[in-house]
Amino acid sequence: MCLEPSREIMTNSVIKCENVSKQFYSDGEMVQVLEDISLEARENEILVIFGPGQCGKTTLLKAIAALEPATGGTITINGKKKTKPGPECGLVYQTIALFPWLTTMGNVEYGLKVKGMGKKERRERANKYIKLVGLEGFEKSFPIQLSGGMKQRVGIARVYCNEPDVMLLDEPFGHLDAQTRYLMQEELERIWQTEKRTIIFVTNNMEEAIYLADRIIVLTNCPAKIKQEFKVDFPRPRNITDPEFLKLRKEITGILDPLE
Amino acid sequence: MIKRLKKINKAKIFIGFASICGFLLFWYLGTAYTEVGKVMASPIDLFWRFLQSAYEPIGPHTIWGHLLSSISRVMMGFALASVCGILLGLVMGSSPLGEAIARPLFELLRPIPPIAWISIAVLWFGLGEMAKYFIIFLSGFFNITINIYTGAKAVDQELIGAAKMLGCSDRKIFTTIVLPSSVPYIFTGLHIALSSSWAAVVAAEMVRSTDGVGWLITQGMGISDTSQIMVGILSIGVVGFILSSIMRGVEAKLCAWSRVEKS
Ligand SMILES: Nc1ncnc2c1ncn2[C@@H]1O[C@H](COP(=O)(O)OP(=O)(O)O)[C@@H](O)[C@H]1O
Ligand SMILES: [Mg+2]
Repeated sequence: MCLEPSREIMTNSVIKCENVSKQFYSDGEMVQVLEDISLEARENEILVIFGPGQCGKTTLLKAIAALEPATGGTITINGKKKTKPGPECGLVYQTIALFPWLTTMGNVEYGLKVKGMGKKERRERANKYIKLVGLEGFEKSFPIQLSGGMKQRVGIARVYCNEPDVMLLDEPFGHLDAQTRYLMQEELERIWQTEKRTIIFVTNNMEEAIYLADRIIVLTNCPAKIKQEFKVDFPRPRNITDPEFLKLRKEITGILDPLE
Repeated sequence: MIKRLKKINKAKIFIGFASICGFLLFWYLGTAYTEVGKVMASPIDLFWRFLQSAYEPIGPHTIWGHLLSSISRVMMGFALASVCGILLGLVMGSSPLGEAIARPLFELLRPIPPIAWISIAVLWFGLGEMAKYFIIFLSGFFNITINIYTGAKAVDQELIGAAKMLGCSDRKIFTTIVLPSSVPYIFTGLHIALSSSWAAVVAAEMVRSTDGVGWLITQGMGISDTSQIMVGILSIGVVGFILSSIMRGVEAKLCAWSRVEKS
Protein backbone atom coordinates (compact mmCIF):
# COMPACT_ATOMS: atom_id res chain seq x y z
CA MET A 1 0.00 0.00 0.00
CA CYS A 2 1.95 2.95 -1.26
CA LEU A 3 -0.21 6.04 -1.28
CA GLU A 4 2.61 8.51 -1.03
CA PRO A 5 4.31 8.86 -4.36
CA SER A 6 6.88 11.45 -3.41
CA ARG A 7 7.29 12.69 0.09
CA GLU A 8 9.56 15.69 0.25
CA ILE A 9 12.80 14.98 1.99
CA MET A 10 12.36 16.20 5.49
CA THR A 11 15.73 17.07 6.83
CA ASN A 12 16.02 20.86 7.19
CA SER A 13 14.85 21.85 10.58
CA VAL A 14 12.58 24.86 10.35
CA ILE A 15 12.12 25.42 14.01
CA LYS A 16 14.41 24.63 16.88
CA CYS A 17 13.75 24.84 20.60
CA GLU A 18 16.75 24.47 22.86
CA ASN A 19 16.37 23.94 26.60
CA VAL A 20 13.17 25.94 26.71
CA SER A 21 11.69 26.49 30.12
CA LYS A 22 8.90 28.63 31.50
CA GLN A 23 7.89 29.67 34.98
CA PHE A 24 4.87 31.61 36.07
CA TYR A 25 4.65 33.59 39.24
CA SER A 26 1.24 33.56 40.81
CA ASP A 27 0.66 34.88 44.33
CA GLY A 28 4.39 35.14 44.80
CA GLU A 29 4.75 31.44 44.21
CA MET A 30 6.80 30.11 41.33
CA VAL A 31 5.17 27.51 39.12
CA GLN A 32 7.38 25.64 36.68
CA VAL A 33 5.33 24.72 33.61
CA LEU A 34 7.94 23.88 30.96
CA GLU A 35 11.23 22.23 31.87
CA ASP A 36 14.19 21.85 29.56
CA ILE A 37 12.34 21.22 26.32
CA SER A 38 14.48 20.72 23.24
CA LEU A 39 12.86 19.80 19.98
CA GLU A 40 12.93 20.58 16.31
CA ALA A 41 10.36 20.49 13.56
CA ARG A 42 11.58 19.65 10.06
CA GLU A 43 10.37 21.10 6.84
CA ASN A 44 6.89 19.96 5.80
CA GLU A 45 6.42 17.45 8.56
CA ILE A 46 3.59 17.16 11.03
CA LEU A 47 5.09 17.06 14.48
CA VAL A 48 2.53 16.12 17.09
CA ILE A 49 3.00 17.16 20.68
CA PHE A 50 1.03 14.80 22.84
CA GLY A 51 0.43 15.40 26.51
CA PRO A 52 -2.26 15.31 29.18
CA GLY A 53 -4.56 18.27 29.83
CA GLN A 54 -3.06 21.19 31.77
CA CYS A 55 0.48 19.90 31.27
CA GLY A 56 1.73 23.02 29.48
CA LYS A 57 1.05 22.38 25.79
CA THR A 58 -0.56 25.75 25.15
CA THR A 59 2.20 27.38 27.16
CA LEU A 60 4.78 25.73 24.90
CA LEU A 61 3.08 26.90 21.71
CA LYS A 62 2.70 30.43 23.04
CA ALA A 63 6.37 30.40 23.93
CA ILE A 64 7.30 29.25 20.42
CA ALA A 65 5.10 31.98 18.96
CA ALA A 66 6.67 34.47 21.39
CA LEU A 67 3.20 35.54 22.48
CA GLU A 68 4.23 34.74 26.04
CA PRO A 69 7.98 34.31 25.73
CA ALA A 70 9.83 31.49 27.45
CA THR A 71 11.80 32.34 30.58
CA GLY A 72 14.76 30.16 29.58
CA GLY A 73 16.31 28.61 26.49
CA THR A 74 16.23 29.74 22.88
CA ILE A 75 13.79 29.34 20.02
CA THR A 76 14.90 29.84 16.43
CA ILE A 77 12.88 29.78 13.25
CA ASN A 78 14.88 29.22 10.09
CA GLY A 79 17.99 30.21 12.01
CA LYS A 80 16.52 33.49 13.30
CA LYS A 81 15.93 33.92 16.99
CA LYS A 82 12.26 34.37 17.80
CA THR A 83 11.63 37.24 20.21
CA LYS A 84 8.31 38.79 19.28
CA PRO A 85 5.10 37.56 17.69
CA GLY A 86 5.02 37.83 13.94
CA PRO A 87 3.79 36.24 10.74
CA GLU A 88 6.53 33.61 10.46
CA CYS A 89 4.54 31.58 13.01
CA GLY A 90 0.87 30.94 12.42
CA LEU A 91 -1.24 29.85 15.39
CA VAL A 92 -4.57 28.09 15.13
CA TYR A 93 -6.08 28.68 18.54
CA GLN A 94 -7.66 26.17 20.86
CA THR A 95 -10.40 28.77 21.28
CA ILE A 96 -10.51 29.36 17.50
CA ALA A 97 -10.27 33.15 18.03
CA LEU A 98 -11.70 34.33 14.73
CA PHE A 99 -12.38 38.03 14.32
CA PRO A 100 -16.16 38.01 14.88
CA TRP A 101 -16.78 41.24 12.98
CA LEU A 102 -15.18 39.91 9.81
CA THR A 103 -16.69 37.45 7.37
CA THR A 104 -14.96 34.24 6.33
CA MET A 105 -13.30 36.19 3.53
CA GLY A 106 -12.36 39.03 5.88
CA ASN A 107 -10.76 36.63 8.34
CA VAL A 108 -8.84 34.66 5.73
CA GLU A 109 -7.49 37.72 3.93
CA TYR A 110 -6.72 39.66 7.14
CA GLY A 111 -3.01 38.86 7.23
CA LEU A 112 -2.54 39.80 3.59
CA LYS A 113 -4.52 43.00 4.04
CA VAL A 114 -2.50 44.30 6.99
CA LYS A 115 0.62 43.56 5.00
CA GLY A 116 -0.71 45.90 2.33
CA MET A 117 -1.40 43.44 -0.48
CA GLY A 118 -3.75 44.78 -3.15
CA LYS A 119 -7.39 43.77 -3.06
CA LYS A 120 -7.47 41.75 -6.26
CA GLU A 121 -4.41 39.73 -5.45
CA ARG A 122 -5.37 38.98 -1.87
CA ARG A 123 -8.93 38.03 -2.83
CA GLU A 124 -7.52 35.56 -5.31
CA ARG A 125 -5.21 34.05 -2.73
CA ALA A 126 -7.88 33.97 -0.02
CA ASN A 127 -10.35 32.35 -2.39
CA LYS A 128 -7.85 29.62 -3.14
CA TYR A 129 -7.55 28.72 0.53
CA ILE A 130 -11.24 29.08 1.26
CA LYS A 131 -11.75 26.53 -1.48
CA LEU A 132 -8.95 24.34 -0.14
CA VAL A 133 -10.58 24.07 3.29
CA GLY A 134 -13.98 23.43 1.72
CA LEU A 135 -15.77 26.66 2.62
CA GLU A 136 -16.87 27.75 -0.83
CA GLY A 137 -20.23 29.49 -0.59
CA PHE A 138 -19.59 30.69 2.95
CA GLU A 139 -17.30 33.60 2.06
CA LYS A 140 -19.81 36.16 3.29
CA SER A 141 -20.82 34.39 6.51
CA PHE A 142 -19.85 35.79 9.87
CA PRO A 143 -18.25 33.38 12.38
CA ILE A 144 -21.40 33.42 14.51
CA GLN A 145 -23.28 31.88 11.59
CA LEU A 146 -20.87 28.95 11.21
CA SER A 147 -20.73 25.61 13.01
CA GLY A 148 -17.75 24.65 15.17
CA GLY A 149 -16.08 22.59 12.44
CA MET A 150 -16.56 25.33 9.87
CA LYS A 151 -15.14 27.95 12.21
CA GLN A 152 -12.02 25.90 12.67
CA ARG A 153 -11.74 25.54 8.89
CA VAL A 154 -11.71 29.33 8.73
CA GLY A 155 -9.03 29.34 11.44
CA ILE A 156 -6.91 26.94 9.40
CA ALA A 157 -7.44 28.85 6.14
CA ARG A 158 -6.55 32.14 7.84
CA VAL A 159 -3.19 30.75 8.88
CA TYR A 160 -2.55 28.77 5.68
CA CYS A 161 -3.24 31.83 3.54
CA ASN A 162 -0.65 33.84 5.43
CA GLU A 163 2.07 31.32 4.48
CA PRO A 164 3.96 31.18 7.77
CA ASP A 165 7.18 29.19 8.06
CA VAL A 166 5.56 27.04 10.69
CA MET A 167 1.95 26.45 11.67
CA LEU A 168 1.09 25.82 15.30
CA LEU A 169 -2.22 24.07 15.90
CA ASP A 170 -3.35 24.03 19.52
CA GLU A 171 -5.89 21.24 20.05
CA PRO A 172 -7.81 22.66 17.10
CA PHE A 173 -10.46 19.94 17.15
CA GLY A 174 -10.78 19.70 20.91
CA HIS A 175 -14.19 21.36 21.04
CA LEU A 176 -15.74 19.36 18.23
CA ASP A 177 -18.02 16.37 18.56
CA ALA A 178 -16.40 13.00 17.82
CA GLN A 179 -17.73 12.63 14.30
CA THR A 180 -16.78 16.14 13.20
CA ARG A 181 -13.43 15.58 14.82
CA TYR A 182 -12.66 12.51 12.65
CA LEU A 183 -13.81 14.39 9.60
CA MET A 184 -11.59 17.35 10.42
CA GLN A 185 -8.58 15.10 10.96
CA GLU A 186 -9.09 13.66 7.50
CA GLU A 187 -9.61 17.14 6.12
CA LEU A 188 -6.44 18.48 7.71
CA GLU A 189 -4.47 15.60 6.24
CA ARG A 190 -6.00 16.26 2.82
CA ILE A 191 -5.23 19.98 3.04
CA TRP A 192 -1.67 19.26 4.12
CA GLN A 193 -1.22 16.68 1.34
CA THR A 194 -2.45 19.25 -1.19
CA GLU A 195 -0.11 21.92 0.09
CA LYS A 196 2.64 20.76 2.42
CA ARG A 197 3.51 22.90 5.42
CA THR A 198 5.53 22.49 8.57
CA ILE A 199 2.97 21.85 11.29
CA ILE A 200 3.27 21.48 15.03
CA PHE A 201 0.04 19.91 16.17
CA VAL A 202 -0.87 19.76 19.85
CA THR A 203 -3.36 17.24 21.15
CA ASN A 204 -4.29 15.13 24.14
CA ASN A 205 -5.98 12.53 21.94
CA MET A 206 -3.79 9.56 21.09
CA GLU A 207 -5.66 8.38 17.99
CA GLU A 208 -5.55 11.89 16.58
CA ALA A 209 -1.83 11.99 17.26
CA ILE A 210 -1.07 8.71 15.52
CA TYR A 211 -3.41 9.47 12.63
CA LEU A 212 -1.72 12.78 11.78
CA ALA A 213 1.87 12.62 12.93
CA ASP A 214 5.19 12.05 11.23
CA ARG A 215 6.68 12.18 14.69
CA ILE A 216 5.08 12.27 18.11
CA ILE A 217 6.67 13.92 21.12
CA VAL A 218 5.13 12.76 24.37
CA LEU A 219 5.20 15.23 27.25
CA THR A 220 5.06 14.44 30.94
CA ASN A 221 2.56 15.99 33.30
CA CYS A 222 3.22 19.48 34.67
CA PRO A 223 5.99 20.57 34.59
CA ALA A 224 6.12 19.40 31.00
CA LYS A 225 9.31 17.60 30.00
CA ILE A 226 9.90 15.50 26.93
CA LYS A 227 9.24 11.92 27.85
CA GLN A 228 9.86 10.15 24.59
CA GLU A 229 9.73 10.60 20.84
CA PHE A 230 8.02 8.22 18.44
CA LYS A 231 8.40 8.04 14.69
CA VAL A 232 5.24 7.23 12.79
CA ASP A 233 6.40 5.92 9.43
CA PHE A 234 3.59 3.78 8.17
CA PRO A 235 1.72 5.13 5.15
CA ARG A 236 -1.14 7.62 5.08
CA PRO A 237 -4.08 7.74 5.20
CA ARG A 238 -3.96 5.63 8.32
CA ASN A 239 -6.68 3.56 9.80
CA ILE A 240 -7.24 3.05 13.48
CA THR A 241 -7.69 -0.71 12.88
CA ASP A 242 -4.33 -1.13 11.11
CA PRO A 243 -2.14 -3.52 13.07
CA GLU A 244 0.67 -0.97 12.97
CA PHE A 245 -1.65 1.70 14.37
CA LEU A 246 -2.69 -0.54 17.23
CA LYS A 247 0.88 -1.58 17.94
CA LEU A 248 2.06 2.01 18.21
CA ARG A 249 -0.86 2.92 20.38
CA LYS A 250 0.00 0.11 22.75
CA GLU A 251 3.61 1.22 22.78
CA ILE A 252 2.72 4.81 23.68
CA THR A 253 0.16 3.76 26.27
CA GLY A 254 2.87 1.65 27.85
CA ILE A 255 5.09 4.61 28.67
CA LEU A 256 2.36 6.81 30.16
CA ASP A 257 2.13 7.06 33.91
CA PRO A 258 -1.00 5.44 35.25
CA LEU A 259 -2.16 8.84 36.51
CA GLU A 260 -2.05 10.33 33.07
CA MET B 1 -38.28 27.57 13.31
CA ILE B 2 -38.35 30.81 11.39
CA LYS B 3 -42.07 30.41 10.77
CA ARG B 4 -42.66 30.04 14.47
CA LEU B 5 -40.55 33.11 15.20
CA LYS B 6 -42.62 35.11 12.73
CA LYS B 7 -45.78 33.92 14.41
CA ILE B 8 -44.47 34.98 17.80
CA ASN B 9 -43.53 38.36 16.37
CA LYS B 10 -47.01 38.85 14.94
CA ALA B 11 -48.59 37.95 18.26
CA LYS B 12 -46.28 40.38 20.00
CA ILE B 13 -47.16 43.23 17.67
CA PHE B 14 -50.85 42.48 18.10
CA ILE B 15 -50.63 42.42 21.89
CA GLY B 16 -48.61 45.66 21.90
CA PHE B 17 -51.23 47.32 19.73
CA ALA B 18 -54.05 46.04 21.90
CA SER B 19 -52.34 47.30 25.03
CA ILE B 20 -52.03 50.82 23.60
CA CYS B 21 -55.69 50.76 22.52
CA GLY B 22 -56.71 49.54 25.96
CA PHE B 23 -54.77 52.36 27.57
CA LEU B 24 -56.46 54.95 25.33
CA LEU B 25 -59.87 53.50 26.08
CA PHE B 26 -59.22 53.56 29.81
CA TRP B 27 -58.07 57.15 29.52
CA TYR B 28 -61.09 58.13 27.48
CA LEU B 29 -63.54 56.53 29.92
CA GLY B 30 -61.74 58.12 32.82
CA THR B 31 -61.98 61.62 31.40
CA ALA B 32 -65.53 61.20 30.09
CA TYR B 33 -67.17 59.75 33.19
CA THR B 34 -65.14 60.81 36.23
CA GLU B 35 -63.78 63.95 37.87
CA VAL B 36 -60.46 63.44 36.09
CA GLY B 37 -62.07 65.06 33.07
CA LYS B 38 -61.82 68.43 34.76
CA VAL B 39 -58.01 68.43 34.97
CA MET B 40 -57.14 66.31 31.96
CA ALA B 41 -58.12 66.39 28.31
CA SER B 42 -59.61 63.25 26.76
CA PRO B 43 -57.52 61.47 24.13
CA ILE B 44 -59.92 62.60 21.42
CA ASP B 45 -59.69 66.27 22.38
CA LEU B 46 -56.00 65.86 22.63
CA PHE B 47 -55.82 64.35 19.18
CA TRP B 48 -57.64 67.36 17.69
CA ARG B 49 -55.48 69.72 19.67
CA PHE B 50 -52.44 67.96 18.31
CA LEU B 51 -53.66 68.28 14.73
CA GLN B 52 -54.47 71.92 15.34
CA SER B 53 -51.01 72.60 16.69
CA ALA B 54 -49.59 71.24 13.44
CA TYR B 55 -50.74 74.31 11.51
CA GLU B 56 -51.68 76.88 14.17
CA PRO B 57 -48.63 78.38 15.90
CA ILE B 58 -48.33 78.19 19.67
CA GLY B 59 -46.13 81.13 20.57
CA PRO B 60 -43.43 81.52 17.89
CA HIS B 61 -43.97 78.25 15.91
CA THR B 62 -46.30 75.39 15.18
CA ILE B 63 -45.52 72.08 16.90
CA TRP B 64 -43.13 71.23 14.03
CA GLY B 65 -41.13 74.35 14.66
CA HIS B 66 -40.85 73.59 18.36
CA LEU B 67 -39.81 70.02 17.70
CA LEU B 68 -37.29 71.18 15.15
CA SER B 69 -35.72 73.61 17.63
CA SER B 70 -35.46 70.92 20.29
CA ILE B 71 -34.13 68.29 17.90
CA SER B 72 -31.50 70.59 16.45
CA ARG B 73 -30.31 71.43 19.96
CA VAL B 74 -30.08 67.73 20.75
CA MET B 75 -28.19 67.02 17.53
CA MET B 76 -25.68 69.76 18.24
CA GLY B 77 -24.97 68.64 21.81
CA PHE B 78 -25.11 64.98 20.92
CA ALA B 79 -22.67 65.32 18.02
CA LEU B 80 -20.20 67.12 20.27
CA ALA B 81 -20.65 64.51 23.01
CA SER B 82 -20.17 61.66 20.52
CA VAL B 83 -16.90 62.98 19.14
CA CYS B 84 -15.44 63.80 22.55
CA GLY B 85 -16.84 60.68 24.25
CA ILE B 86 -15.62 58.26 21.60
CA LEU B 87 -12.15 59.81 21.60
CA LEU B 88 -11.80 59.93 25.38
CA GLY B 89 -13.29 56.44 25.79
CA LEU B 90 -10.87 54.92 23.29
CA VAL B 91 -7.89 56.70 24.84
CA MET B 92 -8.87 55.61 28.35
CA GLY B 93 -9.54 52.06 27.23
CA SER B 94 -6.42 51.49 25.18
CA SER B 95 -3.71 53.53 26.91
CA PRO B 96 -2.86 52.83 30.56
CA LEU B 97 -1.44 56.36 30.93
CA GLY B 98 -4.61 57.91 29.53
CA GLU B 99 -6.63 55.75 31.88
CA ALA B 100 -4.57 56.78 34.90
CA ILE B 101 -4.99 60.47 34.09
CA ALA B 102 -8.62 60.60 33.05
CA ARG B 103 -10.32 57.89 35.07
CA PRO B 104 -10.36 59.48 38.56
CA LEU B 105 -11.56 62.84 37.27
CA PHE B 106 -14.11 61.14 35.12
CA GLU B 107 -15.47 59.02 37.97
CA LEU B 108 -15.78 62.12 40.11
CA LEU B 109 -17.81 64.09 37.56
CA ARG B 110 -19.88 61.22 36.19
CA PRO B 111 -22.39 60.82 39.03
CA ILE B 112 -23.45 64.48 38.83
CA PRO B 113 -26.80 64.60 37.02
CA PRO B 114 -26.69 66.97 34.02
CA ILE B 115 -29.59 68.97 35.43
CA ALA B 116 -27.37 69.95 38.37
CA TRP B 117 -25.17 71.87 35.94
CA ILE B 118 -27.99 74.07 34.66
CA SER B 119 -27.43 77.00 37.02
CA ILE B 120 -23.72 77.09 36.43
CA ALA B 121 -24.25 76.71 32.69
CA VAL B 122 -26.49 79.75 32.72
CA LEU B 123 -23.88 81.73 34.67
CA TRP B 124 -21.10 80.66 32.32
CA PHE B 125 -22.86 80.81 29.00
CA GLY B 126 -25.80 83.12 29.59
CA LEU B 127 -29.34 82.28 28.64
CA GLY B 128 -28.70 81.53 24.99
CA GLU B 129 -28.19 78.31 23.10
CA MET B 130 -24.71 77.61 24.45
CA ALA B 131 -26.00 76.76 27.91
CA LYS B 132 -28.42 74.24 26.42
CA TYR B 133 -25.73 72.65 24.25
CA PHE B 134 -23.59 72.35 27.33
CA ILE B 135 -26.27 70.52 29.32
CA ILE B 136 -27.05 68.18 26.43
CA PHE B 137 -23.37 67.59 25.87
CA LEU B 138 -22.87 66.58 29.50
CA SER B 139 -25.85 64.27 29.54
CA GLY B 140 -24.50 62.36 26.54
CA PHE B 141 -20.77 62.61 27.07
CA PHE B 142 -20.42 60.50 30.22
CA ASN B 143 -22.64 57.72 28.92
CA ILE B 144 -20.74 57.50 25.68
CA THR B 145 -17.32 57.64 27.29
CA ILE B 146 -18.01 54.97 29.89
CA ASN B 147 -19.41 52.52 27.33
CA ILE B 148 -16.59 52.96 24.87
CA TYR B 149 -14.04 52.76 27.63
CA THR B 150 -15.59 49.46 28.71
CA GLY B 151 -15.60 48.25 25.11
CA ALA B 152 -11.98 49.10 24.46
CA LYS B 153 -10.97 47.44 27.73
CA ALA B 154 -12.96 44.33 26.91
CA VAL B 155 -11.11 43.61 23.67
CA ASP B 156 -10.20 39.94 23.64
CA GLN B 157 -6.42 39.76 24.19
CA GLU B 158 -6.36 36.55 22.20
CA LEU B 159 -7.63 38.44 19.16
CA ILE B 160 -4.85 40.98 19.57
CA GLY B 161 -2.38 38.09 19.73
CA ALA B 162 -3.94 36.49 16.66
CA ALA B 163 -3.67 39.77 14.75
CA LYS B 164 -0.01 40.23 15.69
CA MET B 165 0.76 36.70 14.58
CA LEU B 166 -0.83 37.42 11.24
CA GLY B 167 1.60 40.29 10.80
CA CYS B 168 -0.39 43.24 12.12
CA SER B 169 1.62 46.22 13.35
CA ASP B 170 0.88 47.86 16.71
CA ARG B 171 -0.61 50.87 14.99
CA LYS B 172 -3.00 48.80 12.93
CA ILE B 173 -4.07 46.77 15.99
CA PHE B 174 -6.03 49.82 17.03
CA THR B 175 -7.85 50.37 13.76
CA THR B 176 -8.36 46.73 12.78
CA ILE B 177 -9.04 45.12 16.18
CA VAL B 178 -9.75 47.54 19.03
CA LEU B 179 -12.05 49.83 17.07
CA PRO B 180 -14.24 47.24 15.32
CA SER B 181 -14.61 45.11 18.41
CA SER B 182 -15.76 48.21 20.33
CA VAL B 183 -18.52 49.01 17.84
CA PRO B 184 -21.35 47.30 19.76
CA TYR B 185 -20.28 49.16 22.91
CA ILE B 186 -20.08 52.42 20.97
CA PHE B 187 -23.66 51.92 19.86
CA THR B 188 -24.90 51.06 23.33
CA GLY B 189 -23.30 54.30 24.52
CA LEU B 190 -24.74 56.38 21.69
CA HIS B 191 -28.16 54.89 22.22
CA ILE B 192 -28.31 55.67 25.92
CA ALA B 193 -26.78 59.09 25.29
CA LEU B 194 -29.37 60.00 22.68
CA SER B 195 -32.21 59.16 25.07
CA SER B 196 -30.70 61.14 27.91
CA SER B 197 -29.87 64.07 25.61
CA TRP B 198 -33.48 64.18 24.57
CA ALA B 199 -34.52 64.22 28.22
CA ALA B 200 -31.96 66.93 28.99
CA VAL B 201 -33.10 69.28 26.22
CA VAL B 202 -36.58 69.32 27.66
CA ALA B 203 -35.23 70.12 31.11
CA ALA B 204 -32.97 72.85 29.73
CA GLU B 205 -35.81 74.40 27.79
CA MET B 206 -38.10 74.32 30.78
CA VAL B 207 -35.63 76.39 32.74
CA ARG B 208 -35.31 79.15 30.21
CA SER B 209 -36.18 79.24 26.55
CA THR B 210 -38.27 81.00 23.95
CA ASP B 211 -39.23 77.92 21.97
CA GLY B 212 -38.98 74.12 21.91
CA VAL B 213 -41.11 71.37 23.45
CA GLY B 214 -39.86 72.17 26.94
CA TRP B 215 -41.04 75.74 26.48
CA LEU B 216 -44.39 74.42 25.24
CA ILE B 217 -44.87 72.65 28.57
CA THR B 218 -43.82 75.51 30.87
CA GLN B 219 -45.80 77.99 28.83
CA GLY B 220 -48.85 75.70 29.04
CA MET B 221 -48.37 75.57 32.78
CA GLY B 222 -48.26 79.39 32.93
CA ILE B 223 -51.63 79.68 31.20
CA SER B 224 -53.11 76.55 32.84
CA ASP B 225 -53.66 74.83 29.51
CA THR B 226 -53.46 71.09 30.26
CA SER B 227 -53.95 70.00 26.71
CA GLN B 228 -51.05 72.14 25.53
CA ILE B 229 -48.91 70.55 28.23
CA MET B 230 -50.01 67.13 27.12
CA VAL B 231 -49.37 67.86 23.48
CA GLY B 232 -45.84 68.72 24.57
CA ILE B 233 -45.46 65.60 26.68
CA LEU B 234 -46.82 63.31 23.98
CA SER B 235 -44.62 64.72 21.27
CA ILE B 236 -41.60 64.21 23.55
CA GLY B 237 -42.60 60.56 23.85
CA VAL B 238 -43.17 60.09 20.13
CA VAL B 239 -39.93 61.78 19.08
CA GLY B 240 -37.95 59.88 21.73
CA PHE B 241 -39.38 56.66 20.38
CA ILE B 242 -38.53 57.58 16.78
CA LEU B 243 -34.95 58.58 17.65
CA SER B 244 -34.51 55.34 19.54
CA SER B 245 -35.86 53.28 16.64
CA ILE B 246 -33.53 54.96 14.16
CA MET B 247 -30.61 54.20 16.45
CA ARG B 248 -31.68 50.58 16.76
CA GLY B 249 -31.97 50.27 12.99
CA VAL B 250 -28.46 51.61 12.37
CA GLU B 251 -27.13 49.40 15.13
CA ALA B 252 -28.75 46.29 13.70
CA LYS B 253 -27.05 47.01 10.37
CA LEU B 254 -23.58 47.75 11.71
CA CYS B 255 -23.47 45.14 14.45
CA ALA B 256 -24.96 42.32 12.41
CA TRP B 257 -21.93 40.18 13.22
CA SER B 258 -22.72 40.11 16.91
CA ARG B 259 -26.41 39.47 16.52
CA VAL B 260 -27.27 37.29 13.53
CA GLU B 261 -29.10 34.11 14.37
CA LYS B 262 -27.49 30.84 13.45
CA SER B 263 -29.38 29.50 10.46
N1 LIG C 1 -0.52 33.05 32.77
C1 LIG C 1 -0.41 32.02 33.63
N2 LIG C 1 -0.13 32.24 34.94
C2 LIG C 1 -0.02 31.21 35.82
N3 LIG C 1 -0.16 29.92 35.49
C3 LIG C 1 -0.44 29.63 34.20
C4 LIG C 1 -0.59 30.66 33.20
N4 LIG C 1 -0.86 30.08 32.01
C5 LIG C 1 -0.90 28.76 32.26
N5 LIG C 1 -0.64 28.48 33.55
C6 LIG C 1 -0.59 27.16 34.16
O1 LIG C 1 0.24 26.34 33.38
C7 LIG C 1 -0.28 25.03 33.31
C8 LIG C 1 -0.34 24.56 31.88
O2 LIG C 1 -1.31 25.29 31.17
P1 LIG C 1 -1.57 25.06 29.62
O3 LIG C 1 -0.32 25.31 28.87
O4 LIG C 1 -2.75 25.86 29.23
O5 LIG C 1 -1.94 23.50 29.58
P2 LIG C 1 -2.50 22.65 28.35
O6 LIG C 1 -2.58 23.52 27.16
O7 LIG C 1 -1.51 21.52 28.20
O8 LIG C 1 -3.81 22.12 28.79
C9 LIG C 1 -1.63 25.05 33.98
O9 LIG C 1 -1.53 24.42 35.24
C10 LIG C 1 -1.95 26.50 34.14
O10 LIG C 1 -2.65 26.72 35.33
MG1 LIG D 1 -4.18 24.08 26.03
